[in-house]
Amino acid sequence: MTLRSWITSRWVIVPGGMLVFTLAWLAYVSNHNGGLIEGRVVNAAGQPVAGASVLLFERGFITHQEKARTTSNAAGEFRFVNNPSHSVQLEATAPGLGRTERRVVRLWFAAQDTRLAEPLRFPALK
Amino acid sequence: MARNSKALFGLRHVTLIVISFLMLVPFYWVIKTALTNENIYAYPPSLLPRDPHLFNFVDVWYLIPFPRYLANSIIVSSIAVAGNVVFNAMAAYALTRPFPGRRAVLALFLSCMLIPFQATIIPAYLITAKLGLLNTYLGLAFPMLSTIVCIFVFKAAFEAVPRSLIDAARLDGLREWRIIVRVLLPLSKPAIATNVILSFIWSWNSFLWPLLITRNPDMQTLPLGLARFLSYMEDTTGALYAFAVMVLMPSILVFLMAQKEFIRGLTSGATKG
Repeated sequence: MTLRSWITSRWVIVPGGMLVFTLAWLAYVSNHNGGLIEGRVVNAAGQPVAGASVLLFERGFITHQEKARTTSNAAGEFRFVNNPSHSVQLEATAPGLGRTERRVVRLWFAAQDTRLAEPLRFPALK
Repeated sequence: MARNSKALFGLRHVTLIVISFLMLVPFYWVIKTALTNENIYAYPPSLLPRDPHLFNFVDVWYLIPFPRYLANSIIVSSIAVAGNVVFNAMAAYALTRPFPGRRAVLALFLSCMLIPFQATIIPAYLITAKLGLLNTYLGLAFPMLSTIVCIFVFKAAFEAVPRSLIDAARLDGLREWRIIVRVLLPLSKPAIATNVILSFIWSWNSFLWPLLITRNPDMQTLPLGLARFLSYMEDTTGALYAFAVMVLMPSILVFLMAQKEFIRGLTSGATKG
C-alpha cells in the first residue's frame, strides 16, 4: 500500500476529517465561551426601560432555577457574565410595568457569548 | 419476450426500492423526532419535520456526562475490536492446521454458539471478578475479546488462501505467527472488516454485561447512559431520540466505511467461481 493510497483511503479521510472539524469547533468554542449574555429591555412602545431587574434562570434536568439577576442601565441594556449553561431563560420585572414573558435562550455550547436579537418587551399597561 | 423481462426487471427494482424506504421509515422517524421535539404519539402524525433544530443534541451533550460515556464506549469497543482481530486470527489459523481432536474442537465451538450469553454470564462474571477486572475497561471488553462467529469468518478466509503460499512462506523461514501477519491477514481484508464491524457493533450495543460489572457512573458506556437518561426524561421527548441518534451514529459510520469488505467477507464462502 503506497503512502498516497493510504492517505486517500476512507479509513484516514473520514476520521481525519472528523478530527479536523472537532479541533476547529473546539478552537471556536474556546474563543467564544465567556458566558456573556447581553440584551435590552423595552416597554410596549419600544422605549428603553432603565432600572428593570433582569433574572436569569438556568436549565436543570426538568426545571429552570434562578441563578443570577442584574439591572438594566439608562439605555435599557443589561449584561450577564459567567453564565455556565447552554440553555437559559430570561425575564425582566420593573415596578409599574409588571414582568416580561420569559425568553428561552438556547445556545450551541455552554457559556456561549450571545446578544439577544430581540429585546425583552414589557406588555402594554391596561 | 425481451420487453417482458425488462418490465419484470423494473417492477422488481421498484418493489425493492419501496421496501428499502419502508425499512428506513423507523430511522427517519427517530431522526425527525430528535430534530423537532414532536410527540411520537401525536395524531395525525406530520410526515415532515416542523421547525427542525439541533438543540436537543446540545441538551444531551450537557445534561448528562455524554463525553464520558462516549469515551468509555470508544475505549471498550477499541479493545474488543483489537482483541477480536488478534485472537480470532490466531484461533482461526490453528483451526486450519491439522491436529488431533480438531473436529471435536470445531464441534465444540459450533455447539457453544447455541448457548446464549445470558446463560454463561454468571461464570463470566466470577472469572472476571477473580481476575480483578470488575469496573475496568478490560473487564468491560473481556467477554467480547473473541467471538466464535468471527473465528469462523477468519477460518473461511484463511482456507481460501492457496496452500502453496503458506508452504512457500514456511520454506522461506517464516514462523507461524509471521505467516499469519505477513501472508494470511493481508489476503483476508474482507474477513478483517467483518471482524471489525461485528465486534464493534456488538461491543458498542452491549448493555447487560456493562450493567453487571460497572460499579460507578464514570465507567458506564453509552447504552447504560441511554437507560439512565430514559429514567429521567419522558419517553417522547426529542432529547431522548437525539441521544439514540448519537449512540447509533458511530456504529453506522463504521459500517458505512467498511460495508464493501464486510459484504465480501460474508459472501466469500457462499459463492463459487
